Order: sequence, then C-alpha cells, then structure tokens
Amino acid sequence: MTDAVRLPAPFARATAEAAAPVYRVPAWVAPALFLLPAFATLGLWIYWPLIEALRLSFYEWNLLPTAAPVYVGLDNYRNLLALAELRTAAWNTVVYTLGLLPLTVALPLLIALMTREAVGRAGAVYRAIIFVPMIIAPVVVAVVWRWLLNPDHGIVNKLLGGLGVPSLRFLQDPDTAIWTIIFITGWKLVGFSTLLFAAAMTNIDQSLVEAARIDGASESQIARRIVVPLVAPTGIFLTVLTVLHGAQWSFVYINVLTQGGPRHATTNLYYLLWEYGFGTFAIGWSTAAGMLLFAAFAVFAAIGLWAMRRTDRHAH
Amino acid sequence: MTHEISRRTALSLGASSLAASAFAPAPSFAQRIAPPSSAPVSITYYNYNLASAGIGSEATKELIAEFTAPQPNIKVEGVPVSSGQILARVQADLVAGRTPDVAQLVFSDLDFVVRNLGVKPMTDIVPPEEWAAHTGGMVPAGLNLGALDGKVYGLAYVFSTPVLFYNATLFKQAGLDPDMPPATWAAVKEAALKLRAATAKNGVYPGVYSEFDWLLQGLFLSNGGRALSEDRRRVTFGESGAVGAIEMLRDLVKSGAHAKLAESESGDAFMSGNLGMILTTSVYQRAFLNAAKDKFELRAAKMPSFGDKPARPTNSGSALFILSKDPVKQRAAWELVKYMTSKRGYTVITSKIGYLPLRLDIVDDPQYLGAWTRENPMVRPNLEQLTRLNQWVAFPGSNYRQIARIQIAAVNEAVFGDGDIAKIMREAQERAQALMPRA
Repeated sequence: MTDAVRLPAPFARATAEAAAPVYRVPAWVAPALFLLPAFATLGLWIYWPLIEALRLSFYEWNLLPTAAPVYVGLDNYRNLLALAELRTAAWNTVVYTLGLLPLTVALPLLIALMTREAVGRAGAVYRAIIFVPMIIAPVVVAVVWRWLLNPDHGIVNKLLGGLGVPSLRFLQDPDTAIWTIIFITGWKLVGFSTLLFAAAMTNIDQSLVEAARIDGASESQIARRIVVPLVAPTGIFLTVLTVLHGAQWSFVYINVLTQGGPRHATTNLYYLLWEYGFGTFAIGWSTAAGMLLFAAFAVFAAIGLWAMRRTDRHAH
Repeated sequence: MTHEISRRTALSLGASSLAASAFAPAPSFAQRIAPPSSAPVSITYYNYNLASAGIGSEATKELIAEFTAPQPNIKVEGVPVSSGQILARVQADLVAGRTPDVAQLVFSDLDFVVRNLGVKPMTDIVPPEEWAAHTGGMVPAGLNLGALDGKVYGLAYVFSTPVLFYNATLFKQAGLDPDMPPATWAAVKEAALKLRAATAKNGVYPGVYSEFDWLLQGLFLSNGGRALSEDRRRVTFGESGAVGAIEMLRDLVKSGAHAKLAESESGDAFMSGNLGMILTTSVYQRAFLNAAKDKFELRAAKMPSFGDKPARPTNSGSALFILSKDPVKQRAAWELVKYMTSKRGYTVITSKIGYLPLRLDIVDDPQYLGAWTRENPMVRPNLEQLTRLNQWVAFPGSNYRQIARIQIAAVNEAVFGDGDIAKIMREAQERAQALMPRA
C-alpha cells in the first residue's frame, strides 16, 4: 500500500520535467498494480470465504445471534463420514457420472456428426429442436417427467402397455430409479453438448475435408479419421465437465422426484450432504461437507486438466 | 478473524446471560407483556397454513381479519412459509434482525426453538389470571404438547392424530365387514391381504416414513418403545419396543399387505380408490371426502394397536410462539394467539381445515361445532384419541434434525431392506446418540 501512496510523485514529475525520474519505481510495481484488483476480488469472493468455511467447519453453530458457536474440532467431519448412507451415496455419485457420459459426450457427438451436413434453415431447425430442453427450467422438466412416467396414468407406461410391456415403476423401483434420474439429467444436457460439438466442427478447416474427399475417402472415413480427432479437445472438455459437475446436475431432479429414495437408491454425495447440512443452517455440518467435496473433486479436476492439456498438445 | 470470534462470543455471552435472567425465579412485572392499550401496533404472524393453496390459507386469513376488525389499532401482517421451511425462515429473519412477533412452529422443533431462539415460557410473560382464564377450557393433554421441562413455551395450535382411513367399498368387495374395521395390526394385515387377493388393489399404507416422525413415535409408543428416553438424554429407537414395531412393518411388506408406494404417492393412490387403508393425519379428511364422493365410501377408524396393548396415538402439528421482545407487541401477539385458539378460532380451524379442536366443549355446542360434528361423524375417532394423546417428542440439541434423519433413514432400510432389523436400528441409535448434546 505504501507504494501506491508514493506513486503519484514520480509520475507527476516525469510528465512535468520529461527528464530522468529521481525515484525509480521497481519494475514489478506497475504489473502488480494492474493485477491487484483481480487478485483482490478473487481473494474477497473466493479465498476468504474458503478460509472462513474451513474455520466454521470446526464449529457447531446454527448462524443464530442468540446462540454461541461451539468449537467441536473434527466432530463435524467425523459425523459426516459416519453416515450409513455415505458409501451408497459415493457409489451412486460414480454411477451418475459414468451414466451421464454417454448422454453428454457420445450421443451429442453422434448427433453433431449426423447433422453436420444439414445447413441453412433445416440445420437451424434441427439444432433448435435439440437445444430446446436446455432452456426449460429444471423443476419444470422434473414435474413434466413425473407426469410422463407415472406408473398408473403416465403416457410412457400407456405406450409401453400398448406394446404389451407391464407398467414400469420408473421412479419407485430402487433398481430403475437412478437410471431414470440419469436419463432425465442427460436428456436436458444433450442439446448443450451437441451445440459445443457442432461449433467445434464448423471450426475445422474445410480444406482438410475436401482434400480427403479428392483422395477418395468415404464420408464415414472422413468422420472417423478427420472430424472426430479434431473435435477431441471438445470431447475431453465435456468429459471433464461431466465428471466434475454431473452428480451436481442431477440434484434438482433428485430433490423434486425422489428425495434420494427409494431406500437411498438415488441419493448422491451432494444430495446427502445437503440433506444433513442445510435443514437448520447447521453451518458446521455444511462447511465440513463442502470441504470434503472440495478435497475430493480437486483431485478429479487436476487429472482432468492434465488430460485436457495433453490432448490439446496432440491436436496442434 | 480472532477479533471476529471474540466479538461473537461476547455477543452470545451477553445473549445467554440475558436468557439466564429470563429463567430466574420470581419474574418482575417488567418482563411481562404490556397491559391492553389502544395505541397502534403492527405485528408479524409467520404461519404455514397461509402458505398452503386453498382452504388452509383462506381459513387463516378469515381468522386474522375477524381478529383485527374490532380492534383497528392492531395490524397483523401474515407471513406465509411452508411447514418444512418455516423454522429456517424464522431463523434467517432473526439473524437479519427482523424478529417475527408470532410464529407457528412444528412440535419437533420445540427443543431447538426453546434453547436457541430465546423464547420465554408463556406462563412467565402472560399474567397468571389471563393465562388461567384462556387455557381453562383446553384439553390438558393438548396443552402439554407445547411444554418442555414442565413449562409451556408454545400454545398448541393446529394438530391432528393418526387416523386409519379405509375404503369401505373395497372392504365390501373383499367380503370384509366395513362396520368392523381392523383394530390391531394383525387384523390390518389380514384385511389387507384379503382385500388385495379379492380386488387386486393395494392393501395398507402406514404413513410413518415422513421426516416428521410423529406417527412413527406413536407406533413405537404403542408397542412399548420410544424414540427418545423420558429423561431426554438417550436415543432409544434401537431398543426392543421400537424394533418390534419395525418388525411388524417388515412383515407387512414381506407378506404383500403393505402397499408398494412412495409416501408421496400414498394419498393419491387412496383417493383414486387403489388403496384399501391408509394410516395418516386426520387433516386429509377433507381431501379424501372430496375424492371419495360418488366413487367409494370413505370411513375412518382409530390407530391400530399391537395385540392387547392399547394404542398410544401421538399428535402432529404445531404451536404458536411469541418471539417478540417488545412488551407492547407482546400484548398484541398474545391477543392474536388468544383469538386463534379461542372457541371461534377452533370452530373455523376444525370445520374448514380439518385439525382438532383443543377445546372439547365446542364439539357439540350448536353455537360452534355442533352442526358440523353431526354432519361429519368421521371426526369422532380423532376426537376420542385426543383425550389420551401422547406428546410428539422433539430430539434435543443442535443436531436434532440430523438425528431425526438418521432415524427415518434407518427405518426405511429396516422395513424395506433385507438386513437384520435389530442391528440396523441399534447401529443407527449409536450414531444418533453421538449427535446428542454433550452435557
């Protein structure tokens, strides 16, 4: 801060005399000043809350001014790790993540490849149809699917009944519930991923495709050997995004449709920790839960970033 | 940061010494509410019935309007918040410095509310003669619902008891006598199995799996168990009485008598005529009656018992708490509380929303509920249970919600899973015990 106070003097002198300044400002001061606002905001909005959260995770407190925070050491962490549903929830988190990948990476890639040649109005209509689920509010999506999948009078079961399939209890059967939630989550994300792939494909240098065509390559060969490798960074990006956020994206649907049930079949780490942490502003539980997730996903994020850098290098 | 902690500690120390002085014997006159006055005053009323769509909200608004009409100096601002969210909202507003004056809070939050929100016993702030005059006609078992350690902190307001609703039309189709509803769980199982075999509909749904564990506690009590020990120090849902009750539920599931439904679907299934029996809150009576009209005959019975042991019904619902610290507002708040729990108040609440009247003398009084009771004899089993009501006990400490969650998660696992019931419940009890207040 003292640097900042001293600064105007040499600057004023420099403009007035246009001579060699008397005080030399160290070279790092100017860049440091340029960076200061960014670092200050980052510190204020990201790192200070992070440190504060870490501190609060050692307390038992309900945010009430009428009750005192009680220091409890590692108890909050111990309580969370002792939850009976934790193992199920952790496994479900893996299932959610892996289950979403086909819907957020493979299927969108396929759709983007197939609609690659659709140009003009047809292409726009195609993309709009695929993108629409993305812009519907999640709670609305959940409620609509609940109607569609109702075992008694839902249209899906009516259609299945027409084919002679007995009524399925999509959200009530512990064996199918998680896949139903994964499907609904993925259904909403297909459009987003397709859009990213389509954008990546329009960036491909057309001369490569034309050259291949002149050499007699078939359309499927072009897709496999040229297009897919060139959009691989986007694929990796979407994979990393799904791994880091997939379980989180399903939160709304779990909350509206199953509340983690039946018998914890659809709960995941986010939902479980939210259930135990946020009912009474139990700030110790919540921050401890946040810290645990932060630690776990930092590892995944590091691996993902490393993979992204690798494919980026290969692609160029 | 250390500065921050010390400031908070100082603040809370101040608050706790303040609370300590409230518990001091022989409260001085200064701590009581102000005498009645005609000075203008405005109070807030946090209410969850207001947040419901339709009848609950309309009836509550009607009562507020009736209360303020003759005394225009008192303004009541109704704040609608759903029952699941209302405590969090009250907490948030307290933190923000907007203290609610009157709040309707669920009984399971009682311990937390008393220890953390700085609520004073009503008997300490209301002059004794006024208190006696108002609560004189109330059912003692009902008045006790808002009490902790022998002191009434919240005045019991809207509450219900467990009622076994049954579809008499399905009963007849299955060759069961609708005049002889099952009185024990063994009879429930038998009736459910017959009904299912004859009509291919669902048998019974005992609605004990909600996060609000009042009905579950009633089931435990009926089998000689408890969720929490009487001295409020030990979690006991892993002991034999409770485990026995859960074994009964598992047997219902395994035998096929228990409907395969989620809690959220059970009401719809019953209303659409696809479920024979449902044990749930009497508040659904109106919705069930509407749904049953011209479709099937709806009837109601008391909560079933375990063999010869008498059933011990618990209550759902909420009490009214005065949170205001200002004596003038406290006076207005008390007047509002009195009106909401008056003979007129309960007449509207019982006939329009479907809760129980805390005053039994209005039930057959033609000036109040008389005509309505004659038209709605289904309320009788509910009323009969009122006199032998057991308190829905709130878990203590700041982790009470987590304890309730551990309980319901374990019950779900024990009833619908295949594991050893006693082991599941005992382990859950141990984990819950670790979350109890240390002292």
